[in-house]
Amino acid sequence: MLEIKNLHARIEEDGTEVLRGVDLTVPTGEVHAIMGPNGSGKSTLSYVLAGRDGYEVTEGSVTWNGVDLLELEPDERAAAGVFLAFQYPMEIPGVATMTFLRAAMNAQRKARGEEELKTPEFMKIVKAAAEKLKVRPELLKRPLNVGFSGGEKKRMEILQMSLLEPGLCILDETDSGLDIDALRIVAEGVNMLRGPARSMIVITHYQRLLNYIVPDRVHVLSKGRIVRSGGKELAEELEQSGYRDFGEEAA
Amino acid sequence: MTVAVTKTEAERALKSQFEAKFDALPGNEWVRGLRREAFAEFDREGLPTRRNEPFKYTDLRALIREVAEFSETGNMPVSETDLYDVLGVDLDELDAYRIVIIDGRFNRELSHFDRAAGLEVMPLQEVLDAPPDWFRAEFGKVNPPPGSNPVLALNTAFMTDGAVIRVAEKAVIDKPVHLISVTGSTQKIAIAHRNFVTVGAGAKITLLETYAYRRMPFAQRNAATEMIVGDGAEVHHLKYQNEGVDALHLSTWMTRIGARAKYNAFQFALGGGLARSQIYARFAGEGAQADISGAMMQFGRQHCDLTMLVDHAVPHCTSRELFKAVLDDEARGIFQGKILVRPHAQKTDAKEMARALLLSPRAEFDAKPELEIYADDVACGHGATSGEIDENMLFYLRSRGIPEDLAKTMLITAFIDEAIDLIEDEAIREAFKKISCGWLGCR
Repeated sequence: MLEIKNLHARIEEDGTEVLRGVDLTVPTGEVHAIMGPNGSGKSTLSYVLAGRDGYEVTEGSVTWNGVDLLELEPDERAAAGVFLAFQYPMEIPGVATMTFLRAAMNAQRKARGEEELKTPEFMKIVKAAAEKLKVRPELLKRPLNVGFSGGEKKRMEILQMSLLEPGLCILDETDSGLDIDALRIVAEGVNMLRGPARSMIVITHYQRLLNYIVPDRVHVLSKGRIVRSGGKELAEELEQSGYRDFGEEAA
Repeated sequence: MTVAVTKTEAERALKSQFEAKFDALPGNEWVRGLRREAFAEFDREGLPTRRNEPFKYTDLRALIREVAEFSETGNMPVSETDLYDVLGVDLDELDAYRIVIIDGRFNRELSHFDRAAGLEVMPLQEVLDAPPDWFRAEFGKVNPPPGSNPVLALNTAFMTDGAVIRVAEKAVIDKPVHLISVTGSTQKIAIAHRNFVTVGAGAKITLLETYAYRRMPFAQRNAATEMIVGDGAEVHHLKYQNEGVDALHLSTWMTRIGARAKYNAFQFALGGGLARSQIYARFAGEGAQADISGAMMQFGRQHCDLTMLVDHAVPHCTSRELFKAVLDDEARGIFQGKILVRPHAQKTDAKEMARALLLSPRAEFDAKPELEIYADDVACGHGATSGEIDENMLFYLRSRGIPEDLAKTMLITAFIDEAIDLIEDEAIREAFKKISCGWLGCR
């Protein structure tokens, strides 16, 4: 279970307060959507959860299955089961995708005190996961994300997610930059990973992603706080009315 | 304008040593003439200062405080086992013909190249004592640096020995030739040695020059290699610089590239306290291509200067240069690269790029890429960048569970490998990658 209590965070560089008291509980096995207009703090929330530098938490707490996440380095959070699917996955020239996948999988295993994967075993696991998520084998031979299309990058994120088997998945604007076909494939991949032992936070501006990844709960983030929560029908309501009711300009 | 300045202690030492050792240095009367001429050239202006533009970032007059005794022979022998220690497992196991120079002297016992068809190797000393016509016609004239060059002048004045390598026309040397220059002396010594290489038309060779030390890390070396790449020849010319932490490494490559030839050069610089490497390459025939690239990995207070001039003297030639520097602590990396396109060298295609990755706020990279173009129908470009490890990339890797140190190592490796990957010889390429990994591991 993820518990966020009264979380305040600001941008280190200029001191802008972006999160102003976020309260959110995501029980194990549930998928929660966080919706909100641009600038409401959605991406900041995802970065603070994943441990990116450049943000300062001034108040509040984040615990994941009883572990204080804010005390951990980003790689320690990953080993603890946190996974952030990036809005804009980084292109990393010179780092082969397979080398990267192996380093990530083995680092997490090592952190958990498990044995590292042997090459044949690793190859088998990656191949099976790639087939399931319709990731072209050629992509695995390239440097990480370099020259990938928007859809390919997002699929690579979901592939990583399936290989690392996190307990908490945070999907930051996974729908951005995707056409409807790519969106469907990515959503199918996400749905495959839904399960009773896994919590997910789906961050999105638009309701359309939630047609494919149907959430258990929907929260509206506005000006750094959760201002409303409800069932999946809340997303549809927002689609009709926009974010004006929350004191924001229509996006 | 020549300004009369007081000679430094180092300059005075060079002069007195030249006078004292002149008679014992090898070479016939013609060679002795070359030495005198070279030393006189040096003596006119002395060690170069930063006011001498090519030495702008490497003021040798200020940096070389003292000159060690030029050695005629080192005081300690170097064995096969020593070579293993010097080279490390990756380079020692390289399947190659070997030419070994110890303390500036050609060493027959440790060298083995006899079974290479089309490859002729001689100690320079013997050639200097009785220079044949082909040698006299070219030595010192293959592609000398423009104007006076004090580093080369000192090499000519003091050179003791080295390797003369001749590759017969159309000969394909089946294994790399590994020219290993090691200092083994326990005393602080200065050495000057010189190689002369001619590659016949249509021949093919991979030549790796390794510069390393066995016992004490403070030798003062001045090495030079002249090379003629024949028409249609293919040469892979590499240098691995792994001198000791307090060593002085001065190096000059002078290459002339024939028509339709392919010249791929790569310099990999790690060891050395103060290093100045000069590369002069000139296209002498149309339709040739060159890739002159390199990588430097420096830490502590190392100073590593790579200065290059690629002279497009004829039309229809292509050159590529990619230099990468990884600089930690207070290390200083310098890249000066000039591409000169002469008035008739139309259809020249030349691109150079220098990039540095700074791992510490006190590391420094100075880059001076230059294009000097006198032809109007050419495609030329240059660029230089320097920066730190990309924070976004680092976070991305860490967010997947990769610890910070490993994530940084992966990014640095990716950065430097872009240059190392230009090396065509797989065994050398992989050996350099392992050396680079080792550097990152023990940094």
